[in-house]
Order: sequence, then structure tokens, then C-alpha cells
Amino acid sequence: MKKFATALITLGAVGALALAGCSSSDRSETPESSGSGSAAAGFPADATIGVALPQKTSENWVLAEQLFNDGLKEAGFKPIVQFANSGVPEQQNQISAMVEQGAKVIVVGAIDGSQLGTQLEAAKGTGATVIAYDRLVKNTEAVDQYIAFDNYQVGVLQGKALLEGLAKRQGAGPWNIELVAGSPDDANATPFFEGAMSVLQPKIDDKTLTVVSGQTTFDAVATQGWKAENVQKRFDTILSANYSAGTPLHGVLSPNDTLARGVLTSVKQAGLPTPVITGQDSEVESVKSIMAGEQYSTIYKDTRELVAATIKAVQAYQKGEKPEINDTKSYDNGVKIVPSYLLTPVVVTQENAAEIYANDPTLSALTK
Amino acid sequence: MKAAFKQLLGGGIRQFGMVIALLALLGYFQWSTGGKVLTPTNAQNIINGNSYILILAIGMVLVIIAGHIDLSVGSVAAVVGISVALSIKDWGIPWWLGVLLGLGVGMAIGVWQGTWVAYVGIPGFIATLAGMLIFRGMNQEIGNNLSVPVPKEIQKLGAGYLPEWGPTSTNMNNSTLLLGILAIVLVVWSAFRKVAKSRRLGLEDMLPAAVYMRAAVLSVVIAYLTWLFGSGKPGTSFPISGCILLVLMIIYTFVANRTIIGRHVYAVGGNRSAAALSGVNIKHVNFLVMANMSVLAAVAGIVFVGRSTSSGPGDGTGWELDAIAAVFIGGAAVSGGVGTVVGSVIGGLVMAVLNNGLALNGVGSGKTQMIKGLVLLLAVAFDVYNKVQGRPSIFGLLFKGKSRRAAELVSEAGQEEVAEVPVAAGETAGRG
Repeated sequence: MKKFATALITLGAVGALALAGCSSSDRSETPESSGSGSAAAGFPADATIGVALPQKTSENWVLAEQLFNDGLKEAGFKPIVQFANSGVPEQQNQISAMVEQGAKVIVVGAIDGSQLGTQLEAAKGTGATVIAYDRLVKNTEAVDQYIAFDNYQVGVLQGKALLEGLAKRQGAGPWNIELVAGSPDDANATPFFEGAMSVLQPKIDDKTLTVVSGQTTFDAVATQGWKAENVQKRFDTILSANYSAGTPLHGVLSPNDTLARGVLTSVKQAGLPTPVITGQDSEVESVKSIMAGEQYSTIYKDTRELVAATIKAVQAYQKGEKPEINDTKSYDNGVKIVPSYLLTPVVVTQENAAEIYANDPTLSALTK
Repeated sequence: MKAAFKQLLGGGIRQFGMVIALLALLGYFQWSTGGKVLTPTNAQNIINGNSYILILAIGMVLVIIAGHIDLSVGSVAAVVGISVALSIKDWGIPWWLGVLLGLGVGMAIGVWQGTWVAYVGIPGFIATLAGMLIFRGMNQEIGNNLSVPVPKEIQKLGAGYLPEWGPTSTNMNNSTLLLGILAIVLVVWSAFRKVAKSRRLGLEDMLPAAVYMRAAVLSVVIAYLTWLFGSGKPGTSFPISGCILLVLMIIYTFVANRTIIGRHVYAVGGNRSAAALSGVNIKHVNFLVMANMSVLAAVAGIVFVGRSTSSGPGDGTGWELDAIAAVFIGGAAVSGGVGTVVGSVIGGLVMAVLNNGLALNGVGSGKTQMIKGLVLLLAVAFDVYNKVQGRPSIFGLLFKGKSRRAAELVSEAGQEEVAEVPVAAGETAGRG
């Protein structure tokens, strides 16, 4: 009996402790918001803004980190800018941590846009606004806006640049080309490829262009993780199988600069002449390569412009105003059409590089 | 007095090294973030964001105790994730059938790996290195490198919460409250049983007060956790993925300490020849630990796709290393024979809290990895140092109070290892 009494007392004590704790529980607060209408109310001008960036795999992301930090501080916000170098789980945890730190806006450059639903829904639950930056967030309601360069247009420009380059550098057609696409888990890779193919496919059909390896579908030409080593391996194989017997390779469609350089390395190692190759991102090494007459073109998507547009949107949300939107039908994320603000990219070749990079201190130095 | 204190802790204070490290980390981050670590939402985030690694650690510790390693767990989880997602999407089967199918795929892979390791005699390192490639490729082949969404029910497994019911006057999630009360009742009941048993056996050095005190401390901790997890926003509770983890922890702690097969795993890892001569079927044990690991990897994969709302081509990359790190921080020995399930989960939690605290402090990805690497190195170095000193492994003895038989075996292994330390140290250095 004594034992039983002691047990009851212990239980009672513990129960009391538990209940005492409850008085300060979150439950006594009213839930902060219902989610969607929150933007109208605005938030404090010195609020925390979370920026979740993917892996540090290109110069653009490194620059974006710095621009977000400086720009948001200048605008009076408290920025938290983080890379997720070890992959999706790390990015999920970082977004959760940002929500926990009370971020009012979460800007997401997703590693895999379809794997962040849970965390972003939690963010919306606290009344935060979610902006998809550069990469679309898929399969979730929890995204308010998409800000990016027009990716389909990027592909179209790449396709046109390839044709223009072939005509300029490789004499009259028909030409042999190979195709490269980006990472299948990046939502942007498909519009890049589709945009380019909208220009190239008619030329392939009328035999002006021949893809010697026969690899023309997105799945066949995709490059996992946007990794140069992966495209390099693929090209080592293609070149030895299809181009070792004297068949010339005239051109390569490459979705970005890193992959273009990977292809060029492979071509050089195989001892073949440099093909006309496209790119994107205006990375320093590729701009040097363009000025040296190797890589044919790249795309200039001014990261400054993109970050500035994003910060402008954040400021609009802060004041409770509607941010600028210029496309309300193109970007379907599987659950809803995400309102988008699209910026226009520019093609850069040896001829116009000096003119286009004039305002960019790093790149303009390379064009002299 | 000293003896009483010892009984209160259920062993020496040094044996609680990792628990103390965990508390110190929590305390430090709680201070440095201004109280953002021990909030209901953040505690839920820690569990939701790491349960799949902790589930892997449970299987991995058994593999490591038996003297093997499994490098394929990430790839196995990925292939299970994509199988579950695609089978539900393309064949239209109900979600629970998809989960069963996923576990079946895990089991099939386990049989495959176990056969190569146990019956063909390929070292686990090689067999699972091959598995890592095979199943990563299979994931990409099946899924066409695409991300495939999973239904809401599976999302609940990875990111969902227990139901709300009953009176709101408790100001807590009642499911969590019930769970907490059940746990406390269990703790108190087992303390009484222990005292009663020792009285019956006439053990002199047993101090009932110390046992009660210990149960009271544990109850307060559970009560605090119950409140922490239960008092979040309405609709949140102790996460479902955490419940899956708890159930697995209880089952596997029981299997490892109280069953014949569990003791055989320790015996094989501790001294293979002695185990064989004592009549342990070594092949059988090796097969089971490897097969079991893949099944747990399947569970982890399903929980993760649930959390991520979809299965992607990058799932599982690097998980094997996180799980292995958790196991070694939790006190397992590279040479096998030593380790506990609970210790490994605590080791995993140390890493999880470190990750979470650093993220809350806004420390970048690169620095976080460096810090995690150093923590792993220091934790194992501390362990090795203590063995050189001729003391038994502190982490190995972490839970001596919980199981006398396990502790005996562990301390035997610990003494045995005194002579082997240079080798073990060299091995650790070589692998690092």
C-alpha cells in the first residue's frame, strides 16, 4: 500500500510539473495567421529574411549570397543567407531553422524544387511569404511568387546562338551537333532544353543538323547534378564511339558554362578541333574562353538584377503591397499557377561582350 | 554517499559522457540563440529532420557490433523511396500497400546483401560498396532521374503529427500527453519492480531511495519532453516519425540485450572464433544483421520521402556516413563487439542538435561540416584514450545500469581491447 501511495505522489508531482509548464505554452496564443492573406498586412521593416540557396556550385550563387547579404542589410532587414552544400535534407533543416528564427519572407533557391513542401507549408503556417528564386518550387501551395529569368527564352536564345555560330565558324551546313541538358531534378533544366529544341528540332528534321550519337531526348542528354565531370564522361564515350573515325563535330548545345567547359575539356583530350558551343551564366572562366575564341556564346543573366528584383519584392511584401508580376500563366508547379516576375536574358558572344559587360566590374575587365 | 550517488546515476558519471555532451550542446545553443532551440516547433524540427538517420543508426550499430559496415543504406533508402512513390502513382495501389511493397523491396535487398556477406563470404565493406552503386543506379533507372510525389498519408509518416482529441483544457496535444503519462507510469512501475526484486533476492547494497530518485529524475525529464513536444501550435505533437523511431528503439534494445540472437551478435563481433566454438551460427548472425539493415533502410527511405513530399534522384546521398558517424559517436568500437542502440541514437542526436544549433546561429554549410568532422574525431579519440588508460570504454558502458548482462560482456570486451589498442587506434587513423 505504501508503495502505491509513493507512486501516486510521484505521478502527481510530475503531472503538476507538466501542467505548470503549460501556462507558458504556445497554445494559449492565437494562431498567427491563416496563411494566404498575410501579405496584405505587411511586417516590421527590420524583420528577419531567410534566403536558402542550393549548393555552392557556380559563381552566380556565391555572388547571390553576397548581394543578398548586402542588399537586405541596406534595406534594413536582418538577412540569414545559407547554402546547403550537403543536399536536400540540409536545405530542409535550414528552412525550418529560418522559420524558427521568425523569418517573415523565405527566399528559396531550391536544390530539388519538389522536396520542400513540408517545410514551406510550415513557413506559410507562421504567416511567412515564400518566394521561389531562380528555381520553381513544385507540388505545393506554399509558394507566393516566382522570380527568375525567362528560362524558356534562355533556351531559345541558346538554340539561335548555336545556329548563328555554326554559320559563322563552320562554313556551310549540314552540321554535326551533340546536345547537353541540365540536371533532371532542377525544374529549369527542362525549359532550357525545350526552348533550345524549339529552334533546333526543325533543323534536325530537315537534315541541316545531325545528332550523330542519336541522343536527342531530354533523358538521354541530361546531366545529373549539373556536374562537369558527368558531362565530361558522357562526351568521352560519345567522342570515342562516334567521332574518332574523322567525323567532324561542328557544334554542341550546352545549357550552361560549367557544362560547356566540361565538354570542351573532353573534346580537347580527344584531340578534336573546338566545336561551336553555347553556354549560360557568364562565368569568369567561360568569358575568358569566349574572348579567346573557344566557347562561342554564353547568356548574361545579371545576378545583380535578379537579386535587386527579389529585394524589391520583399520590400513590397513588407509594406503590405502587391509585388510586381508579369506572368500569371506559364509556371504551373503541379498544384497551382505560380505568379511570376520574369527578367529577360541577353546572349553574349565575342563581338558584343565588351558592350554587355560594361556595367559589371569583374567581367568588363576580362573583355579588354 | 558516493555509492548512493553512483546508484542514482545507474553507473559512474563518466559513463554518461555523451548524454552530458548532448545536454551541454542544448544548453549552449539555447543560450547562444536566445532560447530558440528548446521550443516546441524546433524540437519537432529536430526529430522530423533526423529521424531517418536515427532509424538507420539503429540498424547500423548492430552491423558494426557484428564487425561489418554497410555503405549501401542511402542507396537502398533511395530505391525503396522511388519504388513506393512510383508504385502508388503509376499502379494506383493504396498507400499502405505501397509502404508494404517498399518494406518488401528492402527485405529483398537485405536477402541479397546478406547472402553475399554471410554465405559467399564477401566482406561487408565490398558487398555494400557494390550495393551502393547497384541501388543508386536502380533508383535513377526506375525513377528516370525525376522527382515523384507521394500521397498525403505517406507524407504523414515523415512529417505528420499525432491526432488531437479530448478536452482542450489540457492546453496540450492529448496524444502526446497520453504518451508521456504512459512512459512515466512505466518508469515508476519498473523502479518499484526493481526494488521489490532486490528485496526478494536479499541484495544488501541496493539503495531504494537512489532507485526512486532516479525514476523521479527520469520522470521529470519525460514530463518536460511531453510538455515541450505537446505544447506547440494546435495540430502539432510529438512527430509520427519520432514515434516510429521510439518503437524501433524499444524493439531493438530488447532484441540486442535480452534475446539469444541479440547476444549472438555481440559474441560474433567480440570474438568470432570463440563465438563459433561456443556453437553460435556465425553465418546466420551475419545474414540477419545485414538483412535487417536493409529493412531499416527501407523504413528510413519511406520516412524521408514522406518528409520531402516526394522521392528524388538525390535521396540518400551521404546518409550512410551520417549513420556511421552517429554509431561511433554513440560509443561503438571499430573492431566490433561494442555498442548500444540507445547510445547510437544519442550519438545521432548529438549530431542533429549540432546541425540545428549551428543553422539557428546562421553558421554556413562549410563550417558546419568541419565542426561535425571534428566532433566525430574528438568523440572517438576520447574513447580510444580511455581505453589506452586501461579504463573500460566510457561510451561502451554508457548504459551499464540498464542491463547487467550487456555490461558484463562489454567490460570483458573492454579489457580485451586494452592489448589491442594500438591496432584499433591505427585502424581508426587509417580510416579517417
